Formats: sequence, C-alpha cells, structure tokens
Amino acid sequence: MPPLPTRALMRGLRGRFVLCLPGLFGMVGCRAEPPAEGITVLLESPPDSLDDRFALTANGQRLAALITPGLLAFDDASQPVPVLAESFREVSPTLMEFTLRPGLTFHDGTALTAEDVKATFDGLRDARVRSPRAERYAALKWVEAVDARTVRFHLERPYAPLLAELSAGIIPSERTGADDVAAQGEHPVGAGPFRFESHPDEEHLTLVPFEGWYAGAPALPRLRFRVVRDETTRVLELLKGRADLAVNVVSPAVLPVLRREPHLRVLSRPGTGFAYVGLNLREGPLADVRVRRALCHLVEVGPVVEHKLHGLARPSQGLLPRANWAWAPSAGCPYSPEEAARLLDEAGYPDPDGPGGRPRLTLSLKTSTDRLRRAVGLVLKEQLARGGVQVEVRALEFGTFFDDVRRGRFELFTLKWASVMEPDLLRGAFHSMNIPTAENNWGGFNRGGLRDAALDSVLEAAARAPREERTALYAEAQQRLDALMPILPLWHEDSVAVVSTRLEGFEPSAHGLLTPLARARMASGAKERAQ
Amino acid sequence: MRRRIGSAAVALVGALLLVSLFLHLVPGDPVDVMLGEQATEVDREALRRAVGLDLPWYSQLGVFSRQLVTGELRTSLPPFQRKVLPAIGTALPYTLVLTVASMLIALALALPLGVAAAARRGTAVDAVAMGTSVAGVALPRFWLGPVLIIVFALKLDWLPVSGAESWRHLVLPALTLGTALAAFLARMTRASMLEALREDYVTVARAKGLSPRVVLWKHAFRNALLPLLTVLGLEFGTLLGGAIVTEKVFAWPGMGTLLLTAIEKRDYNTVRATVLVFTLCYVAVNTLTDAAYARVDPRVRRRS
Repeated sequence: MPPLPTRALMRGLRGRFVLCLPGLFGMVGCRAEPPAEGITVLLESPPDSLDDRFALTANGQRLAALITPGLLAFDDASQPVPVLAESFREVSPTLMEFTLRPGLTFHDGTALTAEDVKATFDGLRDARVRSPRAERYAALKWVEAVDARTVRFHLERPYAPLLAELSAGIIPSERTGADDVAAQGEHPVGAGPFRFESHPDEEHLTLVPFEGWYAGAPALPRLRFRVVRDETTRVLELLKGRADLAVNVVSPAVLPVLRREPHLRVLSRPGTGFAYVGLNLREGPLADVRVRRALCHLVEVGPVVEHKLHGLARPSQGLLPRANWAWAPSAGCPYSPEEAARLLDEAGYPDPDGPGGRPRLTLSLKTSTDRLRRAVGLVLKEQLARGGVQVEVRALEFGTFFDDVRRGRFELFTLKWASVMEPDLLRGAFHSMNIPTAENNWGGFNRGGLRDAALDSVLEAAARAPREERTALYAEAQQRLDALMPILPLWHEDSVAVVSTRLEGFEPSAHGLLTPLARARMASGAKERAQ
Repeated sequence: MRRRIGSAAVALVGALLLVSLFLHLVPGDPVDVMLGEQATEVDREALRRAVGLDLPWYSQLGVFSRQLVTGELRTSLPPFQRKVLPAIGTALPYTLVLTVASMLIALALALPLGVAAAARRGTAVDAVAMGTSVAGVALPRFWLGPVLIIVFALKLDWLPVSGAESWRHLVLPALTLGTALAAFLARMTRASMLEALREDYVTVARAKGLSPRVVLWKHAFRNALLPLLTVLGLEFGTLLGGAIVTEKVFAWPGMGTLLLTAIEKRDYNTVRATVLVFTLCYVAVNTLTDAAYARVDPRVRRRS
C-alpha cells in the first residue's frame, strides 16, 4: 500500500499551522516556502522510461541523456561529437572504431570499459530484452571489445545512418540482460553528469550531480523535475518563481508575458522541429505537381511565423534545418499569386467567375486540435482562398487525426517532424518503399504516397555512401524534392527555454536537450534572493 | 442485500464491456501515440506484439479480466509495464481527499445560502444568493482555477500554485471544485426548503407557536435534506471519478490525471481499470446514500 497523501497533508498541517494562523483566508503573512536547494525543471508529460533503451518520448530521451549518455551525441548541426568516446573513426565503410575516454566510471563506482559498451549493444539487440529500438541495428553485425578502451562496430553492409544509433546510452554490463530491465528502469545507472536520486511518483524526479563525470561534477546541487500537464499552470508556476527552467513547453503566445518578468529570461535559438503541410499525391487534384506548386506559391510563411509564432521559427529553406550538415539550398517557391493562377489554369482549374466568387477547387485540411496548429490551419485557409483555392479546415483529436493521416484519408494535413537530426529521415519520408499500405499495417512514413524512382535511388545511395559523399547526395535529393513538391515546407521551430535568474549558464540546444544543464550553475546570491 | 450485490455486479460488467468496446471504436492506435510520427513499421509491429495489441478486443478483455483478478494487471504500454493497481492505489487517496474537502466547502457555502434564500423568498437576500449561485454554476473550472491561482498564489502570495505536497496545496483545487458544486447545491437546498415550508406539518408547527427558527431548522430543514442527500450522493460519485479539468490545472495526482494520461496514451488496461474503480465508487456511494436515507427518514427505514 503506497503512503497516503493524507500523511503528507497532515505533516504539512502540523508544520505550517503554527506559522500561519488558522482559517482558510486568515493566512496573511504566510508566504509560500522559499525554493528548495537546486533548480526545478518543468515537464509537460512524464518520461515514458528513464532507460535509454526503452525511452521513445522526447522527455524520456532527454532525461536518459543526463543519466546515461552514449559514446557520442549530436550537436546543433547534427554533427557527431564524442561524449564517452574520446574519438572515433571510420576504418572502412563497414567498420567503425571508438576509443573511450580514460578513467570513465559509472555512478556505482565501477569502471566503464569496452566490455560494457559491447554488452550494452548486445543487450539492445537481444530479442529477450525487447527494446523497441532493436531493429534499428539490423545493419550491425557484431561488436568487438578490442581492449579496455577500444571498441569496434562491424557492419553487415555500408550504412552511414547507423552512427545515429550508436549514441545509445551506455549502461553497466551486469545490467544489460533481459532479467535486469526492471532494475535499470527503476533506478537507472549510467556514467552521465547527473545521478539518479529519487522518482517517488510519475510527477517527480530528482537527480544529483555525479562527481565522477569526466568533465567534472556539474555545479547545480540538485535537479528537481516536475510534471505539470496544464500549460496555464506551467506559466503561473514560472511567474511565481517556483520553477527555474522550461524547455519547449510554453507556447509562443505567452512568451511576451514571461519576458516582462524581471526574474525570468526567454532564450531561443534555431531549432530542428519542422512544420509542413502534407499532400495526398495518390489521387485528385494534388496528384498533379502543378497544383502542388500553385499551393506553394500561394502560402506566405513569413507572416504566420511573425504573428502566430511570434517570430520564434525560421521559414524553411529546404526540408532539413539550416544548420544541419546535410542541408542544401532549396529553390523554394516565392509568394506569387500570378504564378499560382497560371499553374492552376494549366492544370485545368480555371477561375469560374473571376477573382472572388466561386473557387477554382476545394480541398480539405486536417489538423490536430492543438490551439496553435488549428490557428495555423485557419491562416492557410485564408491565404489559399485568395488564390481561389477553397479549404475546409477540420480539427481532430490527435489519435483520430493521426490515424487518418496514416491511412491516407486526407487531402492536406499539417504535422511536424519533432526533431530532424539524421538526414536519412528523408528516405523514410519519401522513398516509395515507405508508402503506408494495408500490407505493412499503414506503417510507412511516406504518407503522401510519393513514387519517384530517381529520388529512391539517390536516397538509397546516400544511406550507403561514406560520410563525406553524403552531403552531395542529399543536395541532389533536395533538388529532386523541390521539383516534385511532395509536401509544402513551412518552418523550422525555434528551441525556446524559459529560464529563471537563479539559473545561470544554461544555453538551449537546437534539439531542446537538457544536457546543457551539466554546464549550468546557480546564480551567485540566488539563495539570498530566494528568502 | 443480495439484490444489491447482483445489480452492482451487472453495473461493473456492463461498464467494462462498454468501455472496452468504445476504446476499440475510437480511432487511433496506442502504438502511434507512443512511437510518434517517425517510427518505423518494424518498431511498430514489435511493440504491438509485445503488448498484445495484435489480439482481437475480446481476447484482450479476457486477458485483462484474468490479470485484474490475480492483481497482475500491468499498463498496456512498454517499456515497463507497471502494475496498474498500485497506481490506482496512489491516485485514489488524493482524489478522496480532494473530494471530501470540496464537498465540505460546498456544504458550508450552500446550506446557509439556500436556507436563507428560501426563508426570505423574494427578497434581496434571495436574489443575491441565487445570483451568486448562477454565476458559480456558469464559471468553467478551467477558468476559475487559474483565476484563483492568480489571486491567491501570485497576487496575495498565500498559497502555492499547483502540486500536492501539503494541505496548502489542497485549498485552491478544493475551492475550485467546491464553489461550482456549492452553487448547484444552494439552488437545490432552496427549492427543497420551499417545498418543505409549504407542507402541512410546517403550518402545524407554526400554529403550535414554535419560533420561526425552530420551524425553519428542525421541521423544514430536516425534511428538505432528503432530496439533497440524493444529489449529494450523485455528486460525490462524480467527484470521485476524478475532476479531470481541476486535477489537470492544479497538477493534482488523482484519478482524473491518471485517466487523462491513460486515454492520451491509449493505455487500454489503465483506462479499463480506472473506469472499473469509478463504477465501484459510484455503486458504493449510492449504497451509502440509501443507508443515509434510512437514517434521516424513518419511513424508508420501515419500508426496507
């Protein structure tokens, strides 16, 4: 039987009753407790797991990265940077070699060696462990611990994107087996900058700095994570000064209010979340590339970003974020109603009765019920209407909406790629192998149903090619995608952190990671101010 | 008594069947919700098999019932298929505390207000009391909650914004729930008082020369309590079902939060189990209400 909250309530009652005198409304002069030691980080939903092998949600992965980092991580340009590894090199297209940093230890004090790395990846791929990520290692043949600090990954075939999967969190070898899954989930042990302290319920998690972290113990004395599901409440907690950090969990519309507070700062930097309009290429007017181009010429992204996102996004210049190493310039489609009109005329959608009046064609746009997404849908409707394209906006609960999208029951939809790091994502999104069908249980990621043999072969080549040749291949793919226009790119959303003045030195990352906490510190005098 | 247990069992089984059926009629796949847009089909299939989502809904229901009875029930979603019953065991007391607190607030506000309004029917007192109560019913909780936070937590700085760490965290959510309920109860109290005041026994009491106060409280009020009890029981059951909006606003870790999270994740097992608990609570509260009836009204006692 878990402890009754009544006990906590009673404890509070006894503790407080003396100080702030009775009655519901008679507590004048009874202030809320000063912030406790360390900082409080607000989350919008609980992590699904603290074990990196199982964490699939953004929060699970962000927290796991603090406790159990991997050999490498990806910087804002999505370039690999060594973390637990000191260095790594591609010996051949099918062999990668990592050298570990000297003197690494886990939170429990044991040394981290190549054997632990091997055991981690062997465990990940072990069917009995049932990691949902196991299949991503299909190209990995075997892992070899050469000596205590050297580990080699032998591949079945050249497959550059595997590097992204080698960032998985390293855990002690004795915890990698199928029987130890629960232990690692309940009390994760890793070699990260922060050590697990407690996780009393879904809503709370505490981490403390790890003295053995290779870059030196973090300066923050304690990280307290709190789940607050309601956005208004998160904002109020920040206003009250009871929270010190919120990363990407406050929508742009409220940020001006937070900016005015002297005890809060709003930090932002270009992020990797990508918003787009999906198009159904299988049938109907959108099967015609001229219609798709026309829509693209009618959409003005700039004003939407400025007014709906308060400038906290960059209009897309291509599908990958501007900072990504594989980014290549895209021809795009400048706002041009004339060009759109010409293309629609050509495609057989003449204006029936001049500007205004009846539309050239009618399409439906599906969005989730998210306030921002719905608002954006309405702006798009307005913009397209000016060019004679009538759009019916339908907002659906996310599960329903997403089901429709997967099964191809849409003409237009708006969605977002949460975080774009590895450009091989394009293969998932546009290769004809990945069209969802009943046979693959509507699982493919090419939801618009694009089929283009030329693009397929470029994307396949890019996944196989050695690293230095990939950039050119992705530039070619981008060019092909510009011509095919399978989706309308909108913008890349900024990564936005609301930070209290008690917390210093936190620099938001493009991916919205929490790892910058390892380098942050308490503001000098934060304690006095808190009293 | 046997009839009562029988009808409770029917209610439970019915609720379970309906919920399971609806869960499967609702479009959306738990696997999608979990894995997000960028998941591969291999991941998806593995997950579906791992959690038994590949079985038809009635087989899933069978598995669910078996696991529930043995206490082995776990959440439908990996990675850790946590046990469901302990989660409910943690959430339920929070909801109980909140329910009782808001009930007390509601009663403390509603009874005097309703009685006063009935006693001075048609006067300014009546108008003000009923005016406030209309406002109370009309205010949505997702609005009232934040407003109370802004006033009491931010401007006055008396109370914390959200969470459930001490009794001070309880005040605002209980007020939010309590006021809405109070408004409703006040109207009920007034109506049933007015009815009681029209009864012959009140006239008799007055004719006996009893003081208006005694007539009002001892004769009219006690009789007016009966319909109130029914409403109270129903409301109590509803509140136990988790005040989802209020719990979300105040980050109160009760049944409402549990259910909301489970629905968002399409965690079928937790949804089924929480709904079962709600049904149980409802049945229990209704039984208690009937028992209370018997205590308040001798006629009921004699009949049964």
